[in-house]
Amino acid sequence: MRFSLDAIHIEGSARTSVLARRVVAALPPQVPIDYVTDGREFTRPAANAGDSFGMGKREMTILRRRSPFLMACPAGSSEFACCGYLVLTLASNCPMDCGYCFLQEYLADNPGFQIYANYSDAFEELERLRRKSPARGFRVGTGELADSLAFDSLTGISRDLVEYFGDREDLTLELKTKTDEIENLVAIDPKGRTLVSWTLSPDRVFRSTEHRTASPAERIVAARRVLEAGYRVAFHLDPIIAYEGAERDYLELIENLFDAIAPDRIGFISMGGLRMTPGLKAAARRRFPNDPMLVGEDVLAEDGRYRTFMPLRTKLYAALSARIKQADAKLQTYLCMESPSVHRRVFGETAPLPSALGARLAQS
Amino acid sequence: MSVIAADDDAIRRWATARHLPDAHLVRWLALAQADRATLVHMAEALRLRTGQLVTAFELLEEIALRERVSIEAILSRTEVRRILDGAGSAPGRAHELIEMLRVIRFPRLRRMADLLAAEVAALRLPGGIKVVLPKDLSSDEVKIEICARGGADLQSLIDALARVQAGLGRIADLAGGAGGLEDEI
Repeated sequence: MRFSLDAIHIEGSARTSVLARRVVAALPPQVPIDYVTDGREFTRPAANAGDSFGMGKREMTILRRRSPFLMACPAGSSEFACCGYLVLTLASNCPMDCGYCFLQEYLADNPGFQIYANYSDAFEELERLRRKSPARGFRVGTGELADSLAFDSLTGISRDLVEYFGDREDLTLELKTKTDEIENLVAIDPKGRTLVSWTLSPDRVFRSTEHRTASPAERIVAARRVLEAGYRVAFHLDPIIAYEGAERDYLELIENLFDAIAPDRIGFISMGGLRMTPGLKAAARRRFPNDPMLVGEDVLAEDGRYRTFMPLRTKLYAALSARIKQADAKLQTYLCMESPSVHRRVFGETAPLPSALGARLAQS
Repeated sequence: MSVIAADDDAIRRWATARHLPDAHLVRWLALAQADRATLVHMAEALRLRTGQLVTAFELLEEIALRERVSIEAILSRTEVRRILDGAGSAPGRAHELIEMLRVIRFPRLRRMADLLAAEVAALRLPGGIKVVLPKDLSSDEVKIEICARGGADLQSLIDALARVQAGLGRIADLAGGAGGLEDEI
């Protein structure tokens, strides 16, 4: 287990679940376990805690999820050129602690790290979705409100997911991570239906901002291993932080990636600039007051988020996109949470509809 | 009374007189001694209003973090000292100081904004035409405002616009990120 925990709380209704049994069996003996009536009590902000969100990462609660698992990507919006991604919420919060993470605001009222014991109910939701749209393919990810693989050595959830998706040609699973917890993955055959993606940042961002994550080099090594095990791989240059020297560092990162993994073996690369609502910016600055990555040349943009001012942001996208295209003109590249106008400036073409882009990415 | 205690008393007096929120006072008093002393001397010399102090303080903290320098070092720079020690009115210098801190805090944005302003000026547009760039270059939307009085005036302005069409296109491209920031990232 890469991450340490101070305690585990298991809801009574989840006590005999497969997930709870796996976690209890794999847990280091020094981590205390308690059984509670309602796990939700442990997911709320701790009273008088200076940093509830940070504290929430230190204890895991295993409980039953009361709401649907499947939803549209929360980043989606009619103002952005989106990728048609669906999200399965199997966990909430994350043991890593990135200074820019949107969960600092999104989970402010519900910061406890939680994993849902009834996650197999998600498969029922997916079956209903497939029955409703039998002609469509869907790209479904688990890495939106939590890292897909953090604690996978404890939970083993990835094995169940990969096996389920492996038998369904109309579904693609995307596991999104900043870890190198891939031992469960490399032990099973994904049958071509699972894509594992890593967020990549230059070392300077990693050292300054991406606390407790695997290093970029470790992530690339892990990606290569899962590729060799039969998985598709993809990468997210997101958030791109436009500090002075960023273009050089991001280009070097791309070189390192292509040195390790041939571009034609990469499913896609997404890009997205750092964007922070005023609430997120305040929370991030409060939690990481000494992180220079959080005080870039960000201005309040039309969508109400602080973003790097437009000419600098698009110039950076264009430089990275050109380098990627130079390596492999067929390598799919897209922008996350950017307007169709930015998409057109960077790629020189109109942004595809979300469903069309989603279908392309699902096949990549 | 020691120098440190005297400075801290001055900070507290300033904060009380100007109703500075406690959170800012706590941050102020938590600064290194030289930084908090320089800040109170600046506030007194320029007779800063509360909002101006808060803005300047925030800009200074962010510049210090970005450049890994102390607030005292920032306020000792020649271009800043010129304002602090200048002969103009205190409110005028306060305004000038905050503008200068913004330039230091957003260096590439300022260079890009200056470049675009120069491009617009070079077009020598008549008074009835205005190129409106997005605030803080936060988007790629460039607006052209035409203010005409009568048909002939309007036609004349439209003709003037047509003559600078290429220049306007270049400005719109620059605002969208095509060029202008070479070797600066």
